[in-house]
Amino acid sequence: MRRAFWLLLLGLVACAPKTGQPLDAKVRVIPNPPPVGKAEICIDVDPRSEFKEIKVVGDMTHPGMIPVVAEAHPAGPGLWRVDAFDFNMRGDWVLTITAVDKKGKKYQKEVRLTVP
Amino acid sequence: MSLLSRIRKDLLALPLVGRFLRWRYSRFLLQLPLFLVALLALYDGFLGRQLAPKNFATVSVWLHYRGFLVLAVAVLGNLFCAACPLMLVRGPTRWAKRYLPQFQWPRPLRNKYFVIVLTLFYLFAYEYWDLWASPWLTAWLILGYFGVAFLVDAFFPEGTFCKYVCPLGNFNFTLSTTSPAQIAAKDPAVCLTCEGKYCVNGRVETPAGPKTAREASPQEGTYYPGCETRLYVPQIQSNMDCTLCFNCLRACPYDNVALKPRFWGAEWIRARYRLDWVWLGVLLFFAGFMNAFAMVPAYYRLAEGLSRLLGTTNEGLLLITIYALWTGLGFLLVLYLSHLASRLAGFKETAMQAVRRWGVAFFPLAFAMWTGHYAFHFLTGWASIVPVTQQALIHLGLPLPEPDWTLAALVPENLLYPLQVVILYLGLTGATTTLFSRARGGRPLGAAFFFLMLFLLVALALWVLAQPMEMRGTLLLPKT
Repeated sequence: MRRAFWLLLLGLVACAPKTGQPLDAKVRVIPNPPPVGKAEICIDVDPRSEFKEIKVVGDMTHPGMIPVVAEAHPAGPGLWRVDAFDFNMRGDWVLTITAVDKKGKKYQKEVRLTVP
Repeated sequence: MSLLSRIRKDLLALPLVGRFLRWRYSRFLLQLPLFLVALLALYDGFLGRQLAPKNFATVSVWLHYRGFLVLAVAVLGNLFCAACPLMLVRGPTRWAKRYLPQFQWPRPLRNKYFVIVLTLFYLFAYEYWDLWASPWLTAWLILGYFGVAFLVDAFFPEGTFCKYVCPLGNFNFTLSTTSPAQIAAKDPAVCLTCEGKYCVNGRVETPAGPKTAREASPQEGTYYPGCETRLYVPQIQSNMDCTLCFNCLRACPYDNVALKPRFWGAEWIRARYRLDWVWLGVLLFFAGFMNAFAMVPAYYRLAEGLSRLLGTTNEGLLLITIYALWTGLGFLLVLYLSHLASRLAGFKETAMQAVRRWGVAFFPLAFAMWTGHYAFHFLTGWASIVPVTQQALIHLGLPLPEPDWTLAALVPENLLYPLQVVILYLGLTGATTTLFSRARGGRPLGAAFFFLMLFLLVALALWVLAQPMEMRGTLLLPKT
C-alpha cells in the first residue's frame, strides 16, 4: 500500500508538464517605480532571437485580482514594448513575461516590483 | 402536521436531509470533498508555481474557504466545522491512543483565553509572513494544522482541539452565533427522563438496547459517539462550541434532536455568555478591523510614522506594536465603557459582569466586519478558482485545456462598497438590538451610551472599507 502511494506520487510528479524555458531579457518599467495607472514596459531581448509574440501578465501578490494582460509589440532590434500597462492598484506586483518563438517554444521571466 | 410546519420546527425534516445526517458515515462524506481540496492545496502549494493568485493553495484557502465560510454561517450555520477534514485524523489518533499516555486538558486552559492568544499569534503570522502571498507557507499551514490536530487529539480527549485550541474553529463558533439555526431538543421533557444522556456520552446500540459508551465497549454493538465538545442538547443556548457534527442526532435513541430555525443572532439576546466568550467576540471585531485596515494606504502611513518614532524598520516589532496598541486599547475601551454603561443603566455589577452584559454586542459587529472584508475578496475573485484548479490538475498530469486567467469578478466593483455598507449596518442593527434587550431592567441610557461607541467604531470601519484598496504591499516602502 505504502509502495503504491509513493509510486503514485512519483508518477504524478513525473507527469507534471515542464514550465517554459527561462527568458534572457532585461525588463524596464518607465517610470520606475510606476505609479498607480499607466506605465511603459520595455523588454530587451537578444536581437538575434526570433520571437513571434511577447505577452506581459501582471498579477498582484494577493489572490483574487483579475490579472492585467498586455501584448508587447516590436519596437526595434531586440526591443519589445508595452506602451500603457495598467498598474491599477497600489501594492506588490509580479510581472510574468512570456515569449513564444517561431517554433512555438515558450520562454518565461518573472519580475517583482512595488507600486507605491 | 404539514411538511412546512415541521420544517419550521426542525430543518432536519427536510426530505433526505435528516435521513442523510442520521447515517453513520454522513460526516465522513461531508469531510471528503474538503479533504481532497486540502490534498490538492498541499500538492500545488508545495510543487506548483509560487505565485499566490495562480496557485490553488492560496486561492482556495484565502479566497474561497473564507468566503464560503461566512456565507454558510449566514445562511445556515457552522458547516465548515461540520465538514472539517482535520477531524479525519480521528482514525489514526484512535489507533495511536492505544500506545500513548493520555492526559486531561489543563483546567486553566479550559476556556477561550488560550484561543485568544493563539488567534493573536495566527493574525500576527498572517501579516508578518504574508501567508496570503505564499503558496508554500499556506501549504505548510495546512500541514501544520493537520499535525497539531493529530497531536492534540492523540494525547487529549476527543474534541479538545476543536474547543480549546483551534483558532479557526473558534472563529467559526463565534461567527456562527449569528446563524439562523441551532441544535435543540425537540421535547426537553424527553431529556429529563433520559438516563444515558447519550447525546453527550455516546451510544452503543447493543442487542439488549442502548447503552452509553461508558457502560459498553464499542465492540458490543453499533457505536455512535456523543458530542465531542461536551454539549448537552437540552441545555444548548448558543452555537458556541457546536461543530454541527450531528453526533448528538445519531447518538440520541429517542430521535429527540432537532436543528431548529431561529432568527439571525437570536442567541445574542437570550443566551448567557461566559466572559471568555465575550472577550473572544471583542477580539475578533478588533482583529477583523485591523485585518481590513492593513490593506489600505493609511495603515502604511501609520507604520512609516511609527517606524520613524521608534527608530526601527523591524517589521515584526512594528506589527506587534500596532496590534498590541489596537487590541489592547480596544479591550481597555470595552472594559471601561461597559462599566460606565452599567452605571448609567443603574446596574450594580462589577466591570467584568458589565463586559458580559454589553460586550455581546460585538458579536454581530465581528460577523459584519469579517463578512464585509471577505465578501470583497470573494466577490472580486470568486471565479479564479476555476483556472487555478485547472492549472493544478494540469500540473498533476490531467489533459485539460489552458486556464482562462481572466475569469474573476462575480459582482461589479462599484457594487462592492454599498454591499459592505449594508453588511455593516446590519451588524450595527444586530448590536443595537442586543444592547437594548440586555439593558432591560435598567435605564436605556446605558445601552444608548454603549451604542454611541459602536456607532463610532462602525463609522471608522466604513471609512477603512471606503479607502482605496491595496492588495497587500510591503509594510515599509521602498523595500530593499
